[in-house]
Order: sequence, then C-alpha cells, then structure tokens
Amino acid sequence: MAFNATYFDGNSSKSHSVEIYPNYSSWRISFSDSILPKQDINWQVNDIKKSEVYTKDIVVFTYGKDFPFQRIESADIDFIDYINNSNNDLLSTKVDVVLHKSVGRSILILVFAIIAFAIGMYFYVIPTIAVGFAKNLPSKSVISFGDYVYRTLSPTLTIDNKQSEKLQDFVDALTIQSEFPIDIKVATSDDLNAFALSGGKIVVFSSLLEKIQNENQLAALIGHEISHIENRHVLKSVSRNLSSAIFISIIFGDVNGVTAILGENAHLFSQLSYSRSLEKEADIFGLELLRNNNLDLHGMPELFQILKDESLVDIPAYLSNHPILQDRIQYTSEIAETQKSFTENTLLKEKWVLLKKELQQNIEEQKTEIDE
Amino acid sequence: MEVISGLKTEKKKFSYFGKGSEFAVIYLKNIVLTVLTIGLYYPWAKVELLKYHYQSTALDQNRFTFHGTGKEVFRGFIKLYAVIVVLYALVLYALQTQNTVVLGFAMATFYLFFILLIPFAIHGAARYRASRSSWKGIYFKYLGDRMELFWKCVTGALLTIVTLGLYGSWFSVDIRKYVISHLRFGNLSFDFKGKGETLFWINLKFVFLFYLTLGIYSFWYFKELWSFYADNTEITQDGKKVNFRFTMQPGDIFELMIVNFFLIAFTFGLATPWVAVRTFKFIFRFLEIEEGLDTDSIQQVKYDNYDDAAGDDFLDILDIDLV
Repeated sequence: MAFNATYFDGNSSKSHSVEIYPNYSSWRISFSDSILPKQDINWQVNDIKKSEVYTKDIVVFTYGKDFPFQRIESADIDFIDYINNSNNDLLSTKVDVVLHKSVGRSILILVFAIIAFAIGMYFYVIPTIAVGFAKNLPSKSVISFGDYVYRTLSPTLTIDNKQSEKLQDFVDALTIQSEFPIDIKVATSDDLNAFALSGGKIVVFSSLLEKIQNENQLAALIGHEISHIENRHVLKSVSRNLSSAIFISIIFGDVNGVTAILGENAHLFSQLSYSRSLEKEADIFGLELLRNNNLDLHGMPELFQILKDESLVDIPAYLSNHPILQDRIQYTSEIAETQKSFTENTLLKEKWVLLKKELQQNIEEQKTEIDE
Repeated sequence: MEVISGLKTEKKKFSYFGKGSEFAVIYLKNIVLTVLTIGLYYPWAKVELLKYHYQSTALDQNRFTFHGTGKEVFRGFIKLYAVIVVLYALVLYALQTQNTVVLGFAMATFYLFFILLIPFAIHGAARYRASRSSWKGIYFKYLGDRMELFWKCVTGALLTIVTLGLYGSWFSVDIRKYVISHLRFGNLSFDFKGKGETLFWINLKFVFLFYLTLGIYSFWYFKELWSFYADNTEITQDGKKVNFRFTMQPGDIFELMIVNFFLIAFTFGLATPWVAVRTFKFIFRFLEIEEGLDTDSIQQVKYDNYDDAAGDDFLDILDIDLV
C-alpha cells in the first residue's frame, strides 16, 4: 500500500514527490522524483504531528522533535481515507471525521445545539442565577435598592402623612419577625392598590384602605405585603424579569444597556405582578401573621371578597384575575376554618379605631370641600 | 526575466480552497464548545479557525500551516487578564476613595497603560504569528526590536495628535514598513516601499469623494488602498526583488461587499462562515507574486521558537488584526 505525497525536508523549500508506505508504528517515505537515487526515510508514528484541523481534500503532517521539521502534504484520496479511518489519535481526530462525514446534518445539529443552549440559558439558567442573586444580596443593599426605587416613584405618589402615621402605629403594634424595618405609607389614589418595595417599604392606596372594614382585613393585607418583602419577592421578580433583558444586552455587547434597563423599569415596580406560587406563599405568610397576632384569619378571605366585589365594577391593577381571586378566597377560608379560639387583640383594635377615625375625618373633609 | 530551466520562477498565484459548509462545521463546533465552557475554550477555537484558513490557502500548489496551539493562546490570555484585573482593581480602588484627583489619576493610568501596550502587542503578535507560520516547511520570523517599535509608535502618535490627524497616513506607513521590513521567510526578506504621502492622497480623495458620490467611491477607495499595500510589498531573494500584485477591480469589491452584506443581513448572521470563506476566496484570487521568485530554492534559517501569544491576544481583544 503506497500513497502519493509531497515532501519537504525542512532545510529548503524544494518539493519532492514521494511515496508513503505507512505501517502501524512507522511510515516509510520513498523518493520517486530524484534523478539520483535518494535513500528512504522513516517517520516514527509517535513523533508525527497532525495539523489539528480538518480540510477535506488535503492532509498535512510535520515530523521531528528538533528544528528543522520535515513536512508532508498529500491530496491522495486513498491516503486521506487511510488517515480518516485510522484509530490513532496522533494521526486523525475522530470527532472531526464524524462531523465532516455528513456536513449538512452536522450543521443542523450544531445550530440546534446552539439554539437549545441559548434557550436553556434564557429560560432557566439566567433566571435561576438572578433569583439566587436576589436571595443572597445583603440586607443593606436590598434596603438601598428599595430606597432608590421609592425615590424614583415618589414624585408620582401623593403621600398622606397623617394617615401614614396612624397606619404605621398599627403596623408597629403587630408582632412581626422581619429582616427589614417596615415603613408603611398611605398614598391618595382612586386605584384599589397596595404594593411592597424591597427593603421594607409598603404603599397602600387610600381608596383600598377606605374599603377595609376591620383590623383583621387590614392585618391580612399588611401581612401579605410583608411576605413579599420578607421573601424578597420584589427583587426576585425584578431580577427574573430583567435578567433576560440583561442577558440579551450582554450577548449583543451592549453593557450600557444594563443600567438603562433598571432605570427605564422603575415605573413597573408599583404594578409588579407575581407568579401564582409567590402570591400563595404571601397569602399563607399573611395568615400566619394573623394567627400570631390573635386576629381572625377570616380577615384574609374577606379582603379578597372586597377586592372581588370591587373589581366587578372597575378592574383594579391589583389582582385583577377573578378565577384566581375566587381560588384564593377558597383556600384562605379553608385555612381560616381551622383556627381555634383566641383572645382578642385589644391593642390592634384600638389602633384600628384610631386609623378609621382619621379616615372618616378625611372623607368628611373631602365631602365638605366638594359641597363648598 | 532570466530564463533558466529548472527554476520555478513564473508568476505565483494564491488560491483559497476553503468550503463554506466545511468551515461552518468547524465554526459552529467551536461556538458550541466556547459557550459550553463559558468562554474558556475560546483560545482553542481561535487557533482551529486560524489553522483552517492557513491550511486552505495555497501558493504554488502548497498549503500554509499555522503551528500555534490553544495552550499558547490560553497562556497569553491569562497574562493579559492578569494585567487587566490589576488595572481594573486600581480604578475600582480609586472609585472607592471618592477623590476626584485620585480617580482622574487612576483613569489616566488605565487608558495610558492600555494605549502604551499596543506597540508591545504589535511586536508580540508579529513575532508569535510569524514564528508559528510555515509554507513548504519554511518558517516565517519577525526580527523587529520591541523598544524601537515602541518609540516609533509614541512619536508617531504624538505627531498625529499635534497635526490633528494629518500625520496619520505617514504614521501608519511607517509602522507597516517597520514590521514588514523585519519579517523573514527562510532566507527571503520583505520590504514595504509605500510612501506616507501616497496613502495621504488616497485617504484625502476618499474623504472628498465619499460624500460627493454618496459612498459609492468606497469601492475605488478599497481597491486603491489594498493595491497600495500589496503592490508596495517587496520580496528579496538573493538580492533580487519581486513585488506582490493585487489585481482586484472596484467592480469585484462591489460584488464581494454587497453579497456579503445581504448574506449576513438575511440570515441573521448564520451565514458568517460562508461569508468568511467567500471573502478569503475573493482576496486570494486577486493576490499574486510577480515572476522572478524561485519558490523551490528558499533556504531555512534559524528558528524563532516564540510561544508568547499575549500580544496576539491583546490585538484580538482590541479587534485589530495584523496584515
């Protein structure tokens, strides 16, 4: 078995036509073009260096431990076949041979692999990393992030200081085990809404507060929002939502886009919608808070009933989905039924009465203003 | 031309034998490996793509070979990142002090250092690429002096700034001449004979005609520019000089660029490997060496075993390519 090739001795660029007689452990190279007979050369297979790249129509090898290196180039199809079928890693790379056997199929598989990888990154890896990041961010940073968002939002909010103070009194009277100090505000608005920001800020809109009939319902609402804060739902959702956008801007090399994304999305923080599982987690947490404070667990389903009734008239931004709301009334009621007898929390009742008085006064003031 | 029988001194043509689909397999395989390793595989990917282009390029029926390894390129990146990390640490430290003077000093150091690294990177890249390139078993070699190139770059850059960019053409020619004239291929040497003023006029014409012709002049500009680079590059063999020739016409450049543009635009970049192959095919089809070079009698000289790829990597990061 002899194959045709071109040989270079490494000392000069003169090309020699040669015949190669490959063996398992060595190649014999015999000169076919010399006018003067030249002696055969032996290449030990262990010292042969392949070119480490696949080109279909040519194989190239260099040889020798010390400079100058000898070289062989061959376009002999039989030799190329011999190399491609060789099991010796020193001569051919199996993966490349397989990949180049059916080029079209390989391209399809590789493109598919790249797309699958990108999708996996986009929908699974990146959000998981983002949520992990949100979970492990130090409290100090969470608080300053919340403050930043609140500062951005505050120009759009009309805070009622008197009501806020009374509501804060109510919150302070609650027994809460919280990583973050809770700072609650009442904002004048017709929207039936309340939202929590990272690091302890809660904003309740006045119209929602007016609809609430007792301390149990109020504590249910607050407990629910505190859960969002405690479990870092805001940060997790934001990281998850923005991680993909951030990932895309990194892929396209637009790192400046990352800061822009955060800035542009500040307005969304007041209308964040959480996944069903996060909402449920918050509901359960809220019920737990009611129980720990000797309040009636029925406050929670009652709160949802109020929202449901109201949303028939006007769909609020806060929990607009009826079936979900119905579902939540159901499971919170079931949990509420399990509550055993408890001693009434008079302190909270007192605080609630004070707050309600303030609310009543406010409504009357508004009425007289309108009358005048 | 002296006709001596047995000498291979006819006109030498380059040709590129790469195939789009074949290169696509290699290109995509390397993307997969690079993303799976969060970028760690990049040096090996870079080397394999280079090897492919080299091995697909023939002159006088023989292929070029790139002998670099992923390991060398990887080590280069490690060195480079060490420097970059130190520079970033300096800037981060300065940011923390909240002192504008310290911050200004740190930023200045950062940028200055980055810019001053460029001549060393050019030196390193030229030396690494040359020592890792061969044809017909003969190796290239770069004999330039690091500091000489550095001072050339510093004075050239300063003059360019002082003249508001006018000196740029002379600067660019000066550096090209330095690098090419210190390049060896076995016992062949090279030189670049282009003049700064020629490049200056080529660029000046471009500035004026580009707007007048709504950009159409670009094709003539590239023809002039590439011909300027190729036609002024000279090979010396045993005292005898021959030139490169670049014979592409503006129409060819138009065809190359327009088709490449549409290929990329309509396939969302998927055609990148085909475009790369097409471009190499085009360029090498029009590149030749005048008659007179005897490609069978080039003698090997001492080997420059330079395995430091950091300079090459730095130019890679800055997206500058030699040649």
